[in-house]
Amino acid sequence: MATPQVSREGHAPRGRPLIDIQRVSKTYVTASSGSVHALNKVDLEIADGEFVCVVGPSGCGKSTLLRMLAGLDTYDGGTLSLDRQPVTGPSGKVGVVFQAANLLPWLTVRENVRLPLRVGGRHEAADARIDGLLDMAGLGDFGRRYPYELSGGMQQRAGICRALARDPQILLMDEPFGALDALTRERMNMELQRIWQANRKTILLITHSISEAIFLGDRVVVMSARPGRVLADLEVPIPRPRSFDTIVSHPRYAALASEIRGLLNAQETTPND
Amino acid sequence: MTDTLTRSADSPAEIVQRADVGPDAALQSSVEDAAPVPRTRPRSGVSGSLIAGIGLVVLIALWVLAVRVLRVPPYILPAPEAVLKALWSGLAIDPASPKGYYLPLWSTLSNAATGFAIGSALGLLLGSLMAESRWVEKLLMPYAFALQSLPKVAIAPLVVIWFGFGDGSKIAIAALLSFFPVLINSFTGLRAAEPEKLDLMRSLSATRFETYRIVKLPNAAPFIFAGLDMAVVYALLGAIVAEFLGAQQGMGVVITQAQAVSDVAGVFAALVILGVLGIVLHSSVRRLEHRVVHWAHRGKR
Repeated sequence: MATPQVSREGHAPRGRPLIDIQRVSKTYVTASSGSVHALNKVDLEIADGEFVCVVGPSGCGKSTLLRMLAGLDTYDGGTLSLDRQPVTGPSGKVGVVFQAANLLPWLTVRENVRLPLRVGGRHEAADARIDGLLDMAGLGDFGRRYPYELSGGMQQRAGICRALARDPQILLMDEPFGALDALTRERMNMELQRIWQANRKTILLITHSISEAIFLGDRVVVMSARPGRVLADLEVPIPRPRSFDTIVSHPRYAALASEIRGLLNAQETTPND
Repeated sequence: MTDTLTRSADSPAEIVQRADVGPDAALQSSVEDAAPVPRTRPRSGVSGSLIAGIGLVVLIALWVLAVRVLRVPPYILPAPEAVLKALWSGLAIDPASPKGYYLPLWSTLSNAATGFAIGSALGLLLGSLMAESRWVEKLLMPYAFALQSLPKVAIAPLVVIWFGFGDGSKIAIAALLSFFPVLINSFTGLRAAEPEKLDLMRSLSATRFETYRIVKLPNAAPFIFAGLDMAVVYALLGAIVAEFLGAQQGMGVVITQAQAVSDVAGVFAALVILGVLGIVLHSSVRRLEHRVVHWAHRGKR
């Protein structure tokens, strides 16, 4: 890998939290099942530059949590702040990476990546910035293609570029690689690690994959079944840059993986309320 | 319309790529993209124009059979050669001659085109307003359906009273007929935008108009084109129906005049021209659609 071999160890991520979630709850009403208690007093602090992965059973409200941080969903209890400012709606502080890329099929890859700048009406220095992002993601030659001409992995790399277009402090990723096959997914994890080390963003990533969570995260947060709350917040003391070849043989890897799996399996057998 | 919906469903694992993109393009991840799929897929079966050609030949053969063997009298069904002769006499003529098809065709076409433009534009405008605002939707939707359920042929005489026997009434009826399919299709298409795409625009703090222009309108394009496809033929229909009620010139007049002198071959010739025109208009809309909405036709080129 040509990227600088920066170790994130000793970074002491416990500074002032950039993302501060205190006792956040959420209940929403659906037509079919009445009121649903999605989140129950969730506490989570994420420091500047940290990479935190959230795993949890399906429907535990982890996507809801991410949508709240993105300003797309409201919360009805507790406080939620980014950089010490309460979240009241979408802000330029965050870039969102959606499931399955979510590119606009009628725009070229380049136009898709430029979209956040176009919408904000910020055109200055846009071209150079977009070129830089595309090159970083290995999409330099694909800017004039349309999304349907790209593979799923390339589409999601474009999705990440788009989220980075406004140079946000925070990247929120909602199961970004869930639709990809296992090999592509590992490769995308490597890419994301590289992009993160190059850009120093704070990343909150939601995933179903335990190996992905351990590979990417400084911390892995395990959430309970609905109503979602934080069950465990585990440090991943494995030095970076990590690779899938070596990480599995790391002594802490197996212990972490089985701990997370145990927590998740216990959830499966617990009857839902 | 369901066809359009399934088409737009993403299959993220799909790799459609040219072989000329070398491994230098991507970094470590080049392996992921190294399965080039040829862009032109072998077509199974025969081409569409061949099928259409066979259909035409069979149709004419049956026609000849009906005239020659079953001896259908010419005032009911004229022989193909009589129709051909009538066609030829109208086409192989000075375009400025009042006896040819060119002047009436131009008159009908230009009225239909004007009506089509007005009706489609109004349909798109009102469809957009209805899609954007529940209030406008509740206000206008009942009237739109009431209008659509009225037989247009019955309103046509009214329109002639309002707009006179000139081009005005032809344009008005063509517009009236084109209006509804564009209205309903653009309304449906604009409402069909995927929530994830709307979330994307919300996360970027996009204005309502930006969301409309960047996401909703392109998303509705396949629907709108389906509406335009219907509307263009309806506009032609509308212009001719209006001409039947009274006009100085136009293909409707050509048909009425031929009818008046029991020139059945002449009526058929005019109908053939209108049929061909319908096919031409329909296929030009389709061609335009394939150019504009290329992303919805991936892998079908």
